[in-house]
Amino acid sequence: MSSFSRSAQQWATFARSWFLIDARMQPPGKIATMCSVRLQGKHKPIYHALSDCGDHVVVINSKHVAFSGNKWEQKVYSSHTGFPGGFKQVTAAQLHHKDPKAVVRLAVYGMLPRNLHRRTMMQRLHIFPEDELPDDIRANLTEELPQPREIPRKLSEYTQEEIDAFPRLWIPPEDYKMK
Amino acid sequence: MAAGYMLNRSALTLRLQCQLVSRSPSLTQVREKKRWMKAYTHLMAKKLKLEGPPPPKPRWQQPNWDYHSEVQAFSSRLHENFSLELLKIAFINPCYLQAEQDRRKQLGVDSETMALALKDNLQLSEKGAGLTNSFLTDWCRTSFPNLPHEGVECIVGHLTSPSVVTYVARNLGIEDLTMSAEFPVPDEVLNSTFMAVIGALEESGGAERAAFFLRDFLLTQLIGKDLFDMWIVVNPMGLLVEELTKRNLPLPEPRLIRSAGASTVLPLYFVGLYSDTKLLAQGPGETLVGAEEEAARVALRKLYGYTENRRPFDFSPQQQRQQMLLQSVSQ
Repeated sequence: MSSFSRSAQQWATFARSWFLIDARMQPPGKIATMCSVRLQGKHKPIYHALSDCGDHVVVINSKHVAFSGNKWEQKVYSSHTGFPGGFKQVTAAQLHHKDPKAVVRLAVYGMLPRNLHRRTMMQRLHIFPEDELPDDIRANLTEELPQPREIPRKLSEYTQEEIDAFPRLWIPPEDYKMK
Repeated sequence: MAAGYMLNRSALTLRLQCQLVSRSPSLTQVREKKRWMKAYTHLMAKKLKLEGPPPPKPRWQQPNWDYHSEVQAFSSRLHENFSLELLKIAFINPCYLQAEQDRRKQLGVDSETMALALKDNLQLSEKGAGLTNSFLTDWCRTSFPNLPHEGVECIVGHLTSPSVVTYVARNLGIEDLTMSAEFPVPDEVLNSTFMAVIGALEESGGAERAAFFLRDFLLTQLIGKDLFDMWIVVNPMGLLVEELTKRNLPLPEPRLIRSAGASTVLPLYFVGLYSDTKLLAQGPGETLVGAEEEAARVALRKLYGYTENRRPFDFSPQQQRQQMLLQSVSQ
């Protein structure tokens, strides 16, 4: 396949790629799985735990992530300031309101291995709340990764024809009173 | 104190008397702290540091060396039917003859009464070099029919360069058998000796045996070599354009096909070369210019049939190859 010169081959092998992930309407956990694999370099054939071969990941639209169930209200993020009585607990909704990057960042941080490379790998994760990117980061991008979850369409996005054509199990009689 | 001294004196005299009585050297083991050892090793280490390691000694000056049987062993080790006289001539270099004559003159031996009846290997060497060159050129032409003349010359030049030839010769044990004025044997002397061995093989076993020998020992040095390591091309794009015009193909058009980290200090660009909207080759590089040059090199390798994934060279013996061909036909 490739007949590159040795130096060019090596340059291409060890170069860091830049991946783009659109987090709109995606579960933060699935986004974090994709990120942690790429940040560690586990998608590469040359992967080794001791070699620093991870790639860069850019996550956009982190403000529009979608938790399933009632996690926004029920999921609790705890922290301790270190002072007496400094134990803080906030729900996901509160945290997201305060910092729209925090949910994704904490999910990725929790999925990375607990070693000295963890902070370095986190430095290669770039999170943006909206879909606007600075120019220097946009110039670096290599490819966009497919979203892990297909975004469901809202009822408002369906046309009237599609709604009418939707198969119905039971057609109410004409004199049926809807409430 | 005094008593101890006396005892010591008496012991010394007793020892002297013992030595006088027994003239023969004592072979008994002396179990004591060898206090001379430290000074001796220290001295030796200092000497080594001052003078450096001793110069290498040729094998023929070391014990257990029989030149005739070594030459015979050389020929049977390689499974070749050398004529031993020719092989011995092949190892005698003109510089050795000159040095030997000078040595005899110094010793006062009359050159007429004790003539040095040895021939040097100049003729054999020339013959071997000619055969090597023609065989390697023919082989390159048949294996890489698309490679231009300069490329073939460069490959042959690499294979017959002193560095490759002396590497092969040293590993075949030719260095120990070579008769040379100097030791360690200089590269050019070893080179001409190897060529002379090829010449001797050609005279004793025919050109075919010599060709097989070259194929087995010299051509195998080509394995894992890149074309442009041997052939220094400064402007691959120019060469590619030349090649494409020769083949009446449209000129290559470079395009950036992917990149990573363009605004960082470690950018990567992949440039593809398109000719008539078909992808000729793609190459990575640190800069756009470098990537374009690399893509041109890849395209040239593809044109010349010297890619990394080409069919490996077939070094199997002739009979085996025919059998394999028959098998593939019958299947």
